[in-house]
Amino acid sequence: MNRDEIGELAAAYALGGLEGEELARFEALLEAGDADALRALRECGDTLVGLAAAAPEPPPPAVRAALMERIAAAPAARPSAPVRPLPPRRSRALWPVVLSGAMAAGLAAVVVGWSVSSTYEKRLDALARDAEQLRAELRGQQAVIAILRDPATQVVALAGLPPAPGARARMMWHAQAGGVFVATGLPAPPEGKAYQLWAIAGSNAPVSAGVFTVDASGSGSLAVRPLPGVSAVNAFAVTLEPTGGLPAPSGDMYLLGKS
Amino acid sequence: MPPLTPGSESSAALVAAIAAGDRDAFGRFYDLTAPMAFGLIRRVLRDPEAAAEVLQEVFWQVWQDAARYDPTRGSPEAWLVTRAKTRAIDRLRSVRRRDRTFVAPVDESVAPRREEQAENPAVVAEDRSLVQNALAQLPEAQRRVIELAFFEGLTQSEIAARLGEPLGTVKTRARLGLERLRGVLGGERLSVT
Repeated sequence: MNRDEIGELAAAYALGGLEGEELARFEALLEAGDADALRALRECGDTLVGLAAAAPEPPPPAVRAALMERIAAAPAARPSAPVRPLPPRRSRALWPVVLSGAMAAGLAAVVVGWSVSSTYEKRLDALARDAEQLRAELRGQQAVIAILRDPATQVVALAGLPPAPGARARMMWHAQAGGVFVATGLPAPPEGKAYQLWAIAGSNAPVSAGVFTVDASGSGSLAVRPLPGVSAVNAFAVTLEPTGGLPAPSGDMYLLGKS
Repeated sequence: MPPLTPGSESSAALVAAIAAGDRDAFGRFYDLTAPMAFGLIRRVLRDPEAAAEVLQEVFWQVWQDAARYDPTRGSPEAWLVTRAKTRAIDRLRSVRRRDRTFVAPVDESVAPRREEQAENPAVVAEDRSLVQNALAQLPEAQRRVIELAFFEGLTQSEIAARLGEPLGTVKTRARLGLERLRGVLGGERLSVT
């Protein structure tokens, strides 16, 4: 962008007539601290100050009196704190409210934009999909956070067994809410196979907690729903099973941890 | 003449003090800058009562938002001028929507044509306002663009439509007009002080 272009953007910005994409572009330059843009804007601003200062007019004294009275009545704490972070202790209760509020605002903006211009429909569709996806992810993460925060949640460490001695895993388990399982150091399962997580309660038969696979680095995770009829779990184990899993373990055991 | 020096350290220091809740600093900043702001608001908005209300709103904003003033973008006076202009235009629009008779829009009577001045030196002598002198020294086309933008709040595309000119022409005229005005005002100010 040459000097004249920056000068034009700055002039229009200072005069208040810049709009749309150009406004966004110039704002971005200012935000980035572009020296030419800032200098051009300062020059334009000073010129307009000169224009205004050339024709001063004494304001009615009542305005000053009213302002000073208003300010004297204003609270000592400045009223201009723009963004206040949420108090962390109350955030568990507030999260759903705040997030649904933010989401509602986002969707409201989407709805308003819709009526403004049909050319943005496609983009808005994409945004709405993004919003829905984010909301779903958020619900998942909120569930995980709720589990992690609950004192009744057990953390069970699983250690690697001979097929994968370097493997490690953690099970965050809450009898009513379910749990989150994360594993590292597992070899990629052979074709047609997957890892299956088992909950073992007392002398009962192991109950399947789900099937998972691992990425190229050997890491995998699994969100576990509450297991009906299983309250006190003594141990968690991981075996290699056919893809899709089996009702009872049949393959080699890769991880085991007792609670 | 100018009651203030744009970007002077004192006005910046005053705004910083206002941001910290200093009421005396606010009073001093008001005394220093309110006549300039009021003159501008009155230029946009002829009704004195409406102008006084807008002035109060503008300075109430100054009190509330002083912490957001960014010195890299301009002097406190420029910050104030932008706010005063924006508020006055907002008011102008709402008043126009409500009742057109309250407002005399900026027209040819405000800033005498350059040709008239050249023809009649008495007109120049009678001009009390430097604004008029300064604007009148711009070529007509540049003057119109600046007036429509600054005193009537039109966007550049609105100006282009109003004048029947290409948008690019309006942009260039705004830039050249401000550049020229800068020279004119600088010169005028020196001659007055």
